[in-house]
Amino acid sequence: MNIIVLIKQVPDTTDVKLDPKTGSLIREGVESIINPDDRHALEAAISLKKAEGGKVTVLSMGPPQTIDALSEAIGMGANEAILLSDSAFAGADTWSTSFTLGKSIEKIGGYDLIFCGRQAIDGDTAQIGPQVADYLHVPQVTYVFEIEKIQKKNIIVKKRLEDGYERVQCNLPALLTVIGELNVPRYPMVGRLIDACKEKSPIKIWNASDIGVQAKDVGLEGSFTQVIKTFAPKFKRQGEMLEGDAKKIAGTLVEKLKENKLI
Amino acid sequence: MLRSDPEKLIRKVMARFVDEEVIPVAREIDEKGEFPFDLFKKIADMGVLGIRYPKKVGGSGGNTTLYCIAMEELARGLLSLAAVTAMQCLMATNGLYLYGTKEMHEEYLRPALRGEKIGAFQLTEPEAGSDLSAVRTLATKASDGYVINGMKTWSTSGPYGDFHTVLCQTDPDKKLRGLMFFFIPTDTPGFSHSKKFETLGTRTSALSEIYFNNCHVPPEYMLGELGRGLDVLLTILAEIRIMTAALALGLHRAAMDDSIKYCKERVQFGKPIGKYQLIQAKIANMAVNLEAGRLMVDKVTHQIDNKISCLNEASMGKYFTVESACSATDEAMRIFGAYGYSMEYNVQRYYRDNRFLLYGGGTHEVLQTTIARQYLR
Amino acid sequence: MAVWVEIDLCNGCKRCVKVCPYGAMEIRDGKAHVLEHCTSCGACLEVCKEKAIQTDVEPRAIPDFNDRKGVWVFAEQRGATLNKVSLELLGKARELAGEIDQDVSALLLGYQVSGLCDTIMAYGADKVYLAEHKNLKEYRTNAYTNVVEELVNKYKPNILLMGATHIGRDLAPRVSRRVGVGLTADCTELTIDPEEGILLQTRPAFGGNVMATIANRYSRPQMATVRPGVMEALPKSRGKGSVIKHKVSLTEKDIGTKILEAVREKSKGVSLSDAKVIVAGGRGVGSQEGMKSLFSLAKVMGGEVAGTRIIVEEGWLPADRQVGQTGQTVRPEIYIACGISGAIQHRAGMLGSRYIIAINKDGRAPIFQVADWGIVGDLHEAVPAFTKALKDSMGK
Repeated sequence: MNIIVLIKQVPDTTDVKLDPKTGSLIREGVESIINPDDRHALEAAISLKKAEGGKVTVLSMGPPQTIDALSEAIGMGANEAILLSDSAFAGADTWSTSFTLGKSIEKIGGYDLIFCGRQAIDGDTAQIGPQVADYLHVPQVTYVFEIEKIQKKNIIVKKRLEDGYERVQCNLPALLTVIGELNVPRYPMVGRLIDACKEKSPIKIWNASDIGVQAKDVGLEGSFTQVIKTFAPKFKRQGEMLEGDAKKIAGTLVEKLKENKLI
Repeated sequence: MLRSDPEKLIRKVMARFVDEEVIPVAREIDEKGEFPFDLFKKIADMGVLGIRYPKKVGGSGGNTTLYCIAMEELARGLLSLAAVTAMQCLMATNGLYLYGTKEMHEEYLRPALRGEKIGAFQLTEPEAGSDLSAVRTLATKASDGYVINGMKTWSTSGPYGDFHTVLCQTDPDKKLRGLMFFFIPTDTPGFSHSKKFETLGTRTSALSEIYFNNCHVPPEYMLGELGRGLDVLLTILAEIRIMTAALALGLHRAAMDDSIKYCKERVQFGKPIGKYQLIQAKIANMAVNLEAGRLMVDKVTHQIDNKISCLNEASMGKYFTVESACSATDEAMRIFGAYGYSMEYNVQRYYRDNRFLLYGGGTHEVLQTTIARQYLR
Repeated sequence: MAVWVEIDLCNGCKRCVKVCPYGAMEIRDGKAHVLEHCTSCGACLEVCKEKAIQTDVEPRAIPDFNDRKGVWVFAEQRGATLNKVSLELLGKARELAGEIDQDVSALLLGYQVSGLCDTIMAYGADKVYLAEHKNLKEYRTNAYTNVVEELVNKYKPNILLMGATHIGRDLAPRVSRRVGVGLTADCTELTIDPEEGILLQTRPAFGGNVMATIANRYSRPQMATVRPGVMEALPKSRGKGSVIKHKVSLTEKDIGTKILEAVREKSKGVSLSDAKVIVAGGRGVGSQEGMKSLFSLAKVMGGEVAGTRIIVEEGWLPADRQVGQTGQTVRPEIYIACGISGAIQHRAGMLGSRYIIAINKDGRAPIFQVADWGIVGDLHEAVPAFTKALKDSMGK
């Protein structure tokens, strides 16, 4: 069973804020982490490999510091990792990202399964999985929360719906996007982490020419969508603080609701 | 070639482990006062226990710097857990690693690094604390090994340790030169222990007395060459001290993190107390001491990894960081006001646990004396 | 290929810093500097009055899309029941179509679902493209993608909207890749740019701390998924329109997946998205026991109880009661936040509420910034007192 896992290194969004004066993102002091859903994808791949044999290759596109996410993935038990890093990849939307990842997966070749997290916490788009699957012409199952059975030609999984679930049989090779319910990700092994930092660790760095793409087809230039503006969300509220003891406040609040015809 | 920095990477992973697995349950564990074997096993499963040993004996192939980084992060979550972990990584297993036979490695060292067996290190006796020459636990040569008689006190993990590295006297006439460490599994006939001591802090680690009544051990359980027994301790003394300093850094950070959070939230006279200069002074002192302590620890651990002798610097590091942590935990109690006195907040635990660091790894009175001796001789 | 600043020309006005969508501009010593993560998008070039920012990037040609007409909505159904979000989208589509003077069409895929066409037209569609086939009975990614692809290629719409539901988020990206267009996920606001006539898609990013407006200038249709509960459906009218049947040929081989079983798990009570009043608890509730007063209040007000992620993680409420970024987006008439500090992750899910009441011990908690009425105090006192006052006023 050869498995590819797509992961993303993201800023821990609880820390990301906009500078109220300049309106730009404050990135200083923001920890980078493996996207939470992707950790579940890694766990799924690694435990499947342990059960079925085979190999796990982790693929991530990002700036050079993304190496840490890949080192951690190796620490968890992945066999190999590939970092797609090139200034030409910068500013990519999901169209151009899925193209870049798809090209890389074609270069890796020989896969039975591709795992992704459902969505990344910095963008919440949940697009990369299905777009990569379409690029590779393989079927997909999203929102997977249980892997029931793996057979020679197909896999049986449970897919979460808003109001229940479906048991789906999916032909292999396939791409699955997973949700947190699927498993509890293991922590990396210290010894593997130390080895991941060594020169001879199984982490490769690929740039645009390594995967045979031209700058015009990737990154911002290869994108259809562009961010044209970012801003901090604004709220308009009455913002009235009620004062007094609990009883008095309760009375005032009831009056307020009455005034506004809410009760 | 682009690669991750192992020190940053290990710190990041350990920090996440502590934030997710240790901090949420730390207060409950401390209140129960029972050692958290399940958490200890999780730490072991990450290969932390073997962090300073090579892979060939089941270790993780790290070094003292990585070891101290991991211990600092653990101590930020729960000092008693960190202390037992730190002992398992170093004092409890180093003699076994250096002098144990291959069979002993298989039977004890590897399981210990997997967290399946717990080891301990026993020096102190009722009459022998800082003064090791007063050790009376006697190892008598027998035809097929040694017979151990005596007792130890303040034995960390005494009630549940699986094996002990025990300082014994082989020849009272030779004083310090007669001292040898013996490897004594708990299942050796004649081994017993007292009830767990009630202690002020580090309440989840168990201290007790342990007794040896005609404990018979084979000759290979004597660790090291006769006459050079203290090498077991001296080769790692600097490391023990700087590890203790790393634990102090962790505790210091816990006290400081909680204080910073609290003084931003707590409002008095219409503003958060962090806006008052006397509170700011406390935060500033905590920060400065932390930074200075970190530099000391960082320097010593790298010296140890580069085999540069640094016992004096290690003693200074232990003395300074532990005193700083004492001050930080005390100031944290003051920043919290009466809430610091309440068992509902964690700062009281930091304050209690901190006392442990004053004794473990050498009392500060002895440390000050040995530091001064370097300059006055 | 790069963007750089001619330092001598720069007057340090910071316009570029404000406009950079990537936060890649910085003022150092009174001059603008381009940071490493600049993507050469060119946003700064347009705002620099001193012409100090220069680039060697060739401006990208925008293709002519004049033949692309119509605002399309994917009408999502499961078991021949329409998803509410599709009606909300039809409402929005009408508004957008009005501004560019085009038609609204809906795509209805399924098996024996033609009965839904009238409803869809009543909520604003001029046309319904109906594709019925046995293999479309249940939603399956490839089956639906293939049909939507055929329709898009045949009728060449300008805009295509889908709900950001489990189906929409599975289908939309697959379709976008297939037909070769960009896609913006999870939009909370859609408008037409008055100059360019393109769709401006605004969505939260970085966990809702930042809003980003995205344009799709280089491909058609302009595709977006929209969060359920954000747009408003039009009142039902006696709409009329035409149904255009699309012939489908699909084999199992084209699809690759088979649904072995579908299990519906009933959630108890009214769904949060339909609740008029929501009483929500956060960390400050403290215990399962502490939730009780919230239930009493909800009962008196005829509302539902919800919680933050913490509450759900503690097991004090089931997962379908979670409001926020990783839970549900709700828009009740009244939202009562009890012991919720109001981290942005939570606020993102409840900001659409008509009125917000916040009760929290910490007067600086961010929840008060979004509250209509705030109470600084212990919720364990305030909530029972409020419940009692309500009961009294209602004469119960």
